[in-house]
Amino acid sequence: MMGYYFKLATRSLARNPGITALMVLAIALGIAVCVITLTVHHGMSSNPIWWKSDRLYTVTLDSWDPERPADEKRPALPPPDLTWRDAEAVTRSGIPPRAVRMYKATGVLSADETTGAVRPERVLARVTTADFFAMFDVPFRYGGGWKSAADTGPEPVIVLSAKMNEHFFGGADSVGRTIRWDDREYRVIGVLEHWHPAPKFYDVNNGAFDDPEEIYIPFGWAEKLELRSAGNTNCWKPEDIQSVADFLRSECVWLQVWVELPDAAARERMQAFLDSYVAGERRSGRFQRPNNNRLTNVNQWLADNEVVGNDSPLLVALAFAFLAVCLINTVGLLLAKFLGNATVTGVRRALGASRRQVFLQHLTEAGLLASVGAVLGVVLAGAGLWGLRIMYASPQTGFTGLMHVNGWSFAITVALAIGTSLAAGLYPAWRIGRLAPAVYLKSQ
Amino acid sequence: MIARDIRPILSALIRNRTGAVLVALQVAIALAVLVNAVYIVKQRVDKVGRPTGIDIGNIFMVSSVGFAAGYDHAATTGTDLAWLRSLPGVRAATLSSGIPLSGGGSSNTLYQTAEAKGEGTPMNYFYVDEGGVDALGVRLVAGRNFRADEILPEDPLQHEAVPSVIMTRALAKALFGTGNAVGRVTYDGLGRPVTVIGVIEHMQGSWVDWDKLDHVGLLPRHDAGPNAVYLVRTVPGQRDAIMKLAEEHLAASEPRRMVQYVRPLDYYRDRSYQGDRNMAIFLVTVTALLGCVTALGIFALATFNVNVRTRQIGTRRAVGARKADIVRYFMVENWLVTTAGVVLGATLALGVGFVLSRAYQLPRLDLYYLAGGVLALWAIGQFAAWQPARRAAKISPSVATRTV
Repeated sequence: MMGYYFKLATRSLARNPGITALMVLAIALGIAVCVITLTVHHGMSSNPIWWKSDRLYTVTLDSWDPERPADEKRPALPPPDLTWRDAEAVTRSGIPPRAVRMYKATGVLSADETTGAVRPERVLARVTTADFFAMFDVPFRYGGGWKSAADTGPEPVIVLSAKMNEHFFGGADSVGRTIRWDDREYRVIGVLEHWHPAPKFYDVNNGAFDDPEEIYIPFGWAEKLELRSAGNTNCWKPEDIQSVADFLRSECVWLQVWVELPDAAARERMQAFLDSYVAGERRSGRFQRPNNNRLTNVNQWLADNEVVGNDSPLLVALAFAFLAVCLINTVGLLLAKFLGNATVTGVRRALGASRRQVFLQHLTEAGLLASVGAVLGVVLAGAGLWGLRIMYASPQTGFTGLMHVNGWSFAITVALAIGTSLAAGLYPAWRIGRLAPAVYLKSQ
Repeated sequence: MIARDIRPILSALIRNRTGAVLVALQVAIALAVLVNAVYIVKQRVDKVGRPTGIDIGNIFMVSSVGFAAGYDHAATTGTDLAWLRSLPGVRAATLSSGIPLSGGGSSNTLYQTAEAKGEGTPMNYFYVDEGGVDALGVRLVAGRNFRADEILPEDPLQHEAVPSVIMTRALAKALFGTGNAVGRVTYDGLGRPVTVIGVIEHMQGSWVDWDKLDHVGLLPRHDAGPNAVYLVRTVPGQRDAIMKLAEEHLAASEPRRMVQYVRPLDYYRDRSYQGDRNMAIFLVTVTALLGCVTALGIFALATFNVNVRTRQIGTRRAVGARKADIVRYFMVENWLVTTAGVVLGATLALGVGFVLSRAYQLPRLDLYYLAGGVLALWAIGQFAAWQPARRAAKISPSVATRTV
């Protein structure tokens, strides 16, 4: 029976090619626009380390100006970064099995004499303690990270991104080779896989969708080389800073701190530690704002920092309004078409077709139409996302990881396609099924 | 006349309402989207089009980074600047601590008194040298430029106080209540005095989304190495040629540094506004598509109605209706349906506008946009119905007498 309905549907659709094309195109455009905006929105609002979201927390403490909050627009939040001494105290608590303190610096990466002439590159470095790689499940292609002892030394070891390894070593296993960063020699101990967590949750300052840093070096180099931050440094207190030591003792905030807490008990202990640490500092005259010591998980952190932005939900809403117009359009046209052809249906009913059969026949036609529209829509969406990626995704602008047609957008598309065909076909098919055949036969 | 026309059309519409309701719904959604989208686009276009105060089309940036042993920052920057300034076609060049409109920059807080009490005023500052004012192409409206002997040497911790500042009129107004601020003194957080020696008419600073984008100050200091950023202004039409020349020369002139990039300043402006531009492009595209889909929908439905009513139209013609009457019948019918949609859509548009203004701190929807949207949809509706109405008028009266 379905085969027969299918044949009827194709014939009926071929009878008015212009209107069929209009309906297919409307559905395709509606679906394409929805899939594109949803894919980008989903990419922006996703948690790139969801499997650990109940264990990873960033630490923020309100050490800011007693007179005003760090961010006037979001007065409830402490500053997003920590001072040097608070970062040190928090990561040395011994409570979390893993803890990192870190920031980004910039310098020139250049080839060692043994490598030959390769163009130097100015790159961002993540200056971090050893737990970074294990804590954030950073994937290695060759080698691995360093031990905690390398942080205190500090040892001249370096981890390269896949891109830098490609640039300087042609993608070969460079573990054990040397490379220079700001004219100092480092030994490569690890090379990462291509790794683009989007958003860059562990440091959302200066562009939440920026690419991660290209190199990683032990935290001890920060003090030893007096490496200035290439990220945000925010200061509220007028302090006469005459040396790097003064700066490290200052109230300026510029370090990110993350801890891994395996269970609620560890979390409570960590919170208690933060509260007692801040209480101690308060007695010595610091932390004069209301107590606001936070352990924030990744999801909340991305929400607090408004990573998704205002425009994205607006675009999704617009896309759905557009899809709604396309659907209403299709419903109207299908209905007009079915009713315009009611005499034939009347004859079929008079010859013994049941309402159910007439309904199914017309639903088949609507379903066929919507399916073709959906397939075309996916093709259009794929082309659109591909175009967006070509135009906008670059290391300078970020967004590299956002515009991929992945399993999620595929599922959304299938759901949209089924929903659309039902929405477009049900009402017209139902209306035509309810027609009393006599009316239409009589009128002729 | 019109009233007499409308009654039968209305009763026909009401008896056969599904198609009309669907068209009206489309029109309503289209109006709500159109009005709000155009309003948002207008705001984005205005934002991108704000005057920068800078000669943005004729400026390029060079970033040079020393990295090898023996690199001498002061000597290298001195040589580079002298070379850049000697080029015919270069109007001015300066060392700069930041790139205007790039999204990256520095700010500090200035106070009325040395005690740094009360609400401070933030200043987005750029360290420049005596070439700064000319290299930016900003207009000095009072006071004077920095002299070469006033430029402080590099100071990584920025410990040394800067005694003088050239600021925008907007910043001067915020600090002193008057743009005429030459000679006035303001204080940094440590209570060190800074004297205003010049006022520039207008200049946009680093962060395009900051509400104090024009609170900009130029401070006389060489920024600390080993990274040097040069801001170079050329005579119109020569920027691209000089950029190429600069890239080649600077990369070769000193092997202990690398030239990280040579880029026009508008690259940074475009990058900063990329989100706004994408939003505007997307809104315009989807709104245009929506208008097309709506128009085609109206057209197709009107065509269908004409086809279905062939005999009825033939009958009307046979009993004396003129072609113009038939055309008018369909145009009025379309107008009635569109109007129903527009009424619903106006409510929807205002509702959406209200939600947007609440959620995104946009100004409230301007009613002119609504009026414009209503006119546009009426026009779209009439335009889409015109051709089917003409076809209806061509139906010959004899059709009525034939059986199908």
